[in-house]
Amino acid sequence: LAVMRLTKPTLFTNIPVTCEERDLPGNLFNQLMKDDPSTVKGAEALMLGEMLTLPQNFGNIFLGETFSSYISVHNDSNQIVKDILVKADLQTSSQRLNLSASSAAVAELKPDCCIDDVIHHEVKEIGTHILVCAVSYTTQTGEKMYFRKFFKFQVLKPLDVKTKFYNAETDEVFLEAQIQNITTSPMFMEKVSLEPSMMYNVAELNTVDTAGESESTFGARAYLQPMDTRQYLYCLKPKQEFAEKAGVIKGVTVIGKLDIVWKTNLGERGRLQTSQLQRMAPGYGDVRLSLETIPDTVNLEEPFDITCKITNCSERTMDLVLEMCNTNSIHWCGVSGRQLGKLHPSSSLHLALTLLSSVQGLQSVSGLRLTDTFLKRTYEYDDIAQVCVVSSEVK
Amino acid sequence: NNAKDAKSTLDKDDSRDIARQKTQEEILFHEETIDLGGDEFESEENETVSEDSNNFVDKLNEQMMESVIISDSPNNSEDDTGELGCLQEIVDQIEAKDNQKTQAEVDKEEFLSNESETEHEETPKDISEIGTDDQTSLKEESIQEAVKEEPKLGNNVPVETKPNNIGESKPEDQILSPSTTKPSSEAEPIPVCTIFSQANNASTQPQLFLPDGFEPQMVKSPSFSSIIETPVKSNPQVVQPSPSLSKFFGDPASTNTLASDFFDSFTTSNFISVSNPNANSSVPEQMSSLSNGGDGSSSNPTFPVQNGRPEAGGPPSSLEVTQSPKPFSQIQAVFAGSDDPFATALNMSELDRRNDAWIPSEETRNVLISVATQQYSTVFIDKENLTMPGLKFDNIQGDAVKDLMLRFLGEQAAVKRQVLNANSVEQSFVGLKQLISSKNWRAAVDLCGRLLTAHGQGYKKSGLPASHTTDSLQLWFVRLALLVKLNLFQNAEMEFEPFGNLDQPDLYYEYYPNVYPGRKGSMVPFSMRILHAELPQYLGNPQESLDRLHSMKIICAKILENLEQGLAEDGSMTNITQENRQASVQLWRSRLGRVMYSMANCLLMMKDYVLAVDAYHTVIKYYPQQEPQLLSGIGRIFLQIGDIKTAEKYFQDVEKATHKLDGLQSQIMVLMNRAFLHLGQNNFAEAHRFFTEILRIDSSNAVANNNAAVCLLYLGKLKDSLRQLEGMVQQDPKHYLHESVLFNLTTMYELESSRSMQKKQALLEAVAIKEGDSFNTQCLKLG
Repeated sequence: LAVMRLTKPTLFTNIPVTCEERDLPGNLFNQLMKDDPSTVKGAEALMLGEMLTLPQNFGNIFLGETFSSYISVHNDSNQIVKDILVKADLQTSSQRLNLSASSAAVAELKPDCCIDDVIHHEVKEIGTHILVCAVSYTTQTGEKMYFRKFFKFQVLKPLDVKTKFYNAETDEVFLEAQIQNITTSPMFMEKVSLEPSMMYNVAELNTVDTAGESESTFGARAYLQPMDTRQYLYCLKPKQEFAEKAGVIKGVTVIGKLDIVWKTNLGERGRLQTSQLQRMAPGYGDVRLSLETIPDTVNLEEPFDITCKITNCSERTMDLVLEMCNTNSIHWCGVSGRQLGKLHPSSSLHLALTLLSSVQGLQSVSGLRLTDTFLKRTYEYDDIAQVCVVSSEVK
Repeated sequence: NNAKDAKSTLDKDDSRDIARQKTQEEILFHEETIDLGGDEFESEENETVSEDSNNFVDKLNEQMMESVIISDSPNNSEDDTGELGCLQEIVDQIEAKDNQKTQAEVDKEEFLSNESETEHEETPKDISEIGTDDQTSLKEESIQEAVKEEPKLGNNVPVETKPNNIGESKPEDQILSPSTTKPSSEAEPIPVCTIFSQANNASTQPQLFLPDGFEPQMVKSPSFSSIIETPVKSNPQVVQPSPSLSKFFGDPASTNTLASDFFDSFTTSNFISVSNPNANSSVPEQMSSLSNGGDGSSSNPTFPVQNGRPEAGGPPSSLEVTQSPKPFSQIQAVFAGSDDPFATALNMSELDRRNDAWIPSEETRNVLISVATQQYSTVFIDKENLTMPGLKFDNIQGDAVKDLMLRFLGEQAAVKRQVLNANSVEQSFVGLKQLISSKNWRAAVDLCGRLLTAHGQGYKKSGLPASHTTDSLQLWFVRLALLVKLNLFQNAEMEFEPFGNLDQPDLYYEYYPNVYPGRKGSMVPFSMRILHAELPQYLGNPQESLDRLHSMKIICAKILENLEQGLAEDGSMTNITQENRQASVQLWRSRLGRVMYSMANCLLMMKDYVLAVDAYHTVIKYYPQQEPQLLSGIGRIFLQIGDIKTAEKYFQDVEKATHKLDGLQSQIMVLMNRAFLHLGQNNFAEAHRFFTEILRIDSSNAVANNNAAVCLLYLGKLKDSLRQLEGMVQQDPKHYLHESVLFNLTTMYELESSRSMQKKQALLEAVAIKEGDSFNTQCLKLG
């Protein structure tokens, strides 16, 4: 019984040594290269040949790849044996899988003949795996024989994935995923996609549209060298039905999972998915104030309008009072201490405010205070947005 | 594999400890990465701060890059609760790291565990591992074999001495026997050989050549006219190191010839291949032996007569000698070739100029100029600037095939193994060629060594002043090239080392104005430069290779530019006929292409695929006729990366490119590519179909044969696969006993049966009959 792992064959590389007509060996070296069957005819100096060679060692096997193996049972004796049953099991730390294609016994095996089997298994666990091959047969004398062999190998982790979330003001979530190749061979990333959970729609931000053609932000380099890291960016938008209900997307939410498909030598394929990515939704506190409209540029000392949206994220009704505090540069117009009235849970109100800036440059809109009169709790809102203040002559 | 495990279980405690240490390191490491992640994004974060109206704590949280657990598989992933925190993640990583460690060790072994262990026995011995170790050590031994044979060497060699007056008789020979003369005799004007620049021209000219009016063109054949003159005029100290040497050095006519003639010069003139080893032992010794006609002349009776005139075998103080070997460069004395037709020489030098052109570095150029201008006063040159090569090891002869036969097949069988060795062929270039073409490269390396010893550059001669000739450098090239071919990269590097960057002044013809009057350019063959540049990449230093190739590229480009601007290759103002210019441009373009080829290969070795592909595209520009092959090659590169789609695109381009030219070759190429594509798609059955298709067109196609067999194995048809490979090897062993084929075959034998040994030995016998001593026995996996 012999077992060989069938990784993809490799291409034979030769070492070109050339010379010129006038050199001492004449065309001898070139002729030698031409005669060498492993060179590419007509382009002998090309290092990468066409000759396939079988894998020389077990190599590494990574999670998500397919483990293929050749199992050959050969009758070395000079007797016919009968009722041969070959069983190949894969023992992992958690389970035992049967990999044999057929479980039927072979009636007889003549001397110097063999039973061949090629098994495939997609590796789903990290760590030690043991391939257990068991052969049982009956000799000519009717004796029942049985033997086993163990082949142990380790399954390694191919990728290191790190993620990071950014919450945008508009309820969008940006997911940044760093995928690092921690194998020892280059890896062609065939597909890296985010499968969003039911609450989100996803837009991939890894291509740039140039002249109608989308071009990968990674350029022509479609593969990852060992230890290289690539950063993918995704934009998640809550679906309309969920976006409406503020507060639903709150606390820990499931965003989705990354699906990664890669290929290595001669199309050896691997596929992985991450576990569900979760994020802590930004806590908005009890009351959320967001901006709906604001001008980009305003004139110095000229009033301008902004629109705010105030949402009650708590579970109780609030009675709110709005205070507006002037800062060095920002001056609010209107009455401070205005009653906004009762706000029910998950409901919101829009508020138009007028203000002016007395200082040029990029100014931060700050100084809004909301007080919940029921609980006597004050919420401060500073640095809500920025406006560019220019002198009116310039404009 | 199991063996490894058994070992590791034994050492379990140890490894645990290590693992624990690792754990700590790992934790640190992990934290670090998190920090890094944070740092990386801090700048971005700062920008977003103001936009967000959220409170600060949240932001801090966001900053952290969270490690994500990769679930086991797409199918399993749903089950993951996602509760696994950072800690667990760390553990995972440790495991992975740890595994990687052991895996690396496991890798060294062969997976094919043929050890016949039964039942629960879990401790097989790994025979193969021991075996390979053995093999390598064996090899080393043979390399490091003693040098003691050296003195004997001289005796073994048939010393044929012909009392011919080397300096004079050579050209006469050529005239008398037309068979040895150069083929071409059209009169071609020889351009004046200016040294580097116009400015120097005036000053160098008169000294270099006949004072024939200094008209900067058309000096008569410089090799002949001037030589007669110059030595007589002002150089009485002509030194003849050894007769054999002078034979090599002294004959510009023969060195100027084409390669083929060049061999003739050695064989027909019965050169004394290995002269008295004592005479060559060191240069000062030579000097003394010369002056008092000591042992040097006794072993070579022809010596005193040689120069046809009483030589003042010159005691130029040996002190001066060691400081600068300049006097030695003026070895050659007399050329009586004045009656040799100009035409030949003229044509030759046109060829010479074209081929030998090279642009020296500023420093080297200055030295060369000073050599040219003060021709007869000694130019002192730093020892470091001189090339003083010597054999670094001697006698790597050995026959691994025979050794294996001794071990496995017994002495009787081993005796039958007959290969040529350095002793069994003529001690000349002819013998050398014979050894090379019969694939006895080890013996050929030895023979090169012997011939170099005859040039005074033998074993332990490194670091001693030496004179270089076209021949000595060619011999070096062949020796080094063969070492590379034998994968003896370290040895090649050692022997290459004295040559520096191949730009030392004494490697230029101008350095030897007497030996090579008027001849310009570098003695170093272009192919040797390529070899020199490529070598570091095989020793794990591809960056150095790239650097060297880049500087070669720059010089090639410069030469082409010079040619385009109507100058000579080296940038001097020389009239070159249109025809010659064309030929020169062609030559240098192909050389530049060759450099690009090496670069592409080197990049491929570095696994910098993007640049490699670019480089191959450049190569296509220089070798348009190789476009289909190169495009297929690029396709295979993408296939190797795993980028099947791009590979397919390239293969389609190949089909387009070959569409126009129909022929067997291109038909095969297209089929081959299609087969590879199927291979990339894991479709071995289809791939096999295409490989078989090729065999229908060209049944002797080794690649298709081999690849079809490989496919069969992946399809679970071991026996069929073996039949195919065996059939192929038997059908034409001369052609198919290739390393890769045999490797596959032995691998399958091992898979087939635990009695693979016999079959491997049978292969060894087949190899013994057909292959030379350069055969790489490792592929037989006979431990």
